[in-house]
Amino acid sequence: MPRAEEGLLVPFYVNGKAVGTIWAVAHDNRRRFDAEDLRLLERMSRFASAAYQTVASIENLKLQMSAREKAETELRELTNGLEAQVRARTEALARAQSELAHVARVTSLGALTASIAHEVNQPLSGIITNASTCLRMLAADPPNVEGARETARRTIRDGNRASDVITRLRALFSKKEATTESVDLNEATREVIALSLSELQRNRVILRTELADDVPLVTGDRVQLQQVVLNLLQNASDAMRGVDDRPRQLLIRTEREEGDRVRLSVQDAGVGLDPQAMDRLFEAFYTTKNDGMGIGLSISRSIIERHRGYLWAASNDGPGATFSFFIPCGPGSVTSARSLGAIQTPATKDAE
Amino acid sequence: MSPGESVMVTRLLVSVVDDDESVRESLPDLLRELGFVAHAFSSAQEFLASGFVDETRCLILDIAMPGMTGLDLQRELKLRRQEIPIVFITARRDEAVRPLVLERGAVECLFKPFSDTALLNAVNAALRVN
Repeated sequence: MPRAEEGLLVPFYVNGKAVGTIWAVAHDNRRRFDAEDLRLLERMSRFASAAYQTVASIENLKLQMSAREKAETELRELTNGLEAQVRARTEALARAQSELAHVARVTSLGALTASIAHEVNQPLSGIITNASTCLRMLAADPPNVEGARETARRTIRDGNRASDVITRLRALFSKKEATTESVDLNEATREVIALSLSELQRNRVILRTELADDVPLVTGDRVQLQQVVLNLLQNASDAMRGVDDRPRQLLIRTEREEGDRVRLSVQDAGVGLDPQAMDRLFEAFYTTKNDGMGIGLSISRSIIERHRGYLWAASNDGPGATFSFFIPCGPGSVTSARSLGAIQTPATKDAE
Repeated sequence: MSPGESVMVTRLLVSVVDDDESVRESLPDLLRELGFVAHAFSSAQEFLASGFVDETRCLILDIAMPGMTGLDLQRELKLRRQEIPIVFITARRDEAVRPLVLERGAVECLFKPFSDTALLNAVNAALRVN
């Protein structure tokens, strides 16, 4: 490059800060820079400044855009992940629910089977003992005919007792599948009481019933409603197991409510409810019993809700607690037969 | 053999404690047919208060009774040093119960309903303990 004879340097600025310089160099001295050249260069520097700013903001915009894209991609991935998580959780929940329903079936069936076996074995024991005695009396020399006649009479009576138990059971399990039918809640309750009576007596429970005569029929599944009543009865009896300073009174009441509803309540004189735990009572696997699974009330509540009703608990003025439910009567009081079928007991299935 | 006076006194007393009335009604009759003297009581307390405790050579005892259970009575008798051989009976067929009560010193545990031979074998086993 030839030697410079003269130079003109014009810096240009962005926001008051010099970002570049325009150089004009003359390589011979035939002509000198004048004011016009300076003005020209100053204008060029203003253009350069504007151009520089434009390029800078385009670069900046590009950076912003790529950052936004990156953020959007991340968000999309996150959303996809969330959806997958929600899906997985929902599936897990559905699995847990069906397991829960299964456990409830098995345990309530187990308790029921033990109760049935006890009810049937008592009269069977009488039958076999009396019949053995009868045979021995007849085989004696001379035969004790009067004694044999008496023991034969007792055999028949115990046989009838066993037959009554079976009749009650058949009434309880006669339904082939969960259906919606007209249910007399009083009658359904009496059947449950008849089956629980010896268990209640064993726990020294004094049972009182106030079943109102004007209770209208409800539409629903009788066996499921009876499961709820059975559960409330057992809970009430269990709650009084440790009570020795007062009578273990249990009151079952049915009544017609305004708005065409039927209410059933089970009142005990037991240990009562812990105010802190009121919210958790109906949660699955929450229990206050040593041998409880904590599923009875949660299943019961879901049954009552399927009948468009409500199950709740309240502390008594005196000792103990009252569990009540209401269900609307009249047709269409059950959400759907299919949803009822979801918690059908295996016993009713086996009966088919 | 005719049931003369001298034979009566040598007969052994078997006591039955059960809250179920049909058992109290039927079991003593069968025990008498089997050649024993039998008394029935509706509760553990009734038996303890009866005055037959010392005489009883074998106790047929229901496990699940309201109030004082069969196991409670077994404990109480042990505390009183009344070592009466016990045959438990129960209407609840729970196989886990049998080894449990045998371990606690019972002679036998019969599930209702039981046969007359099962009963006789159990009572004879109890009397051999004496």
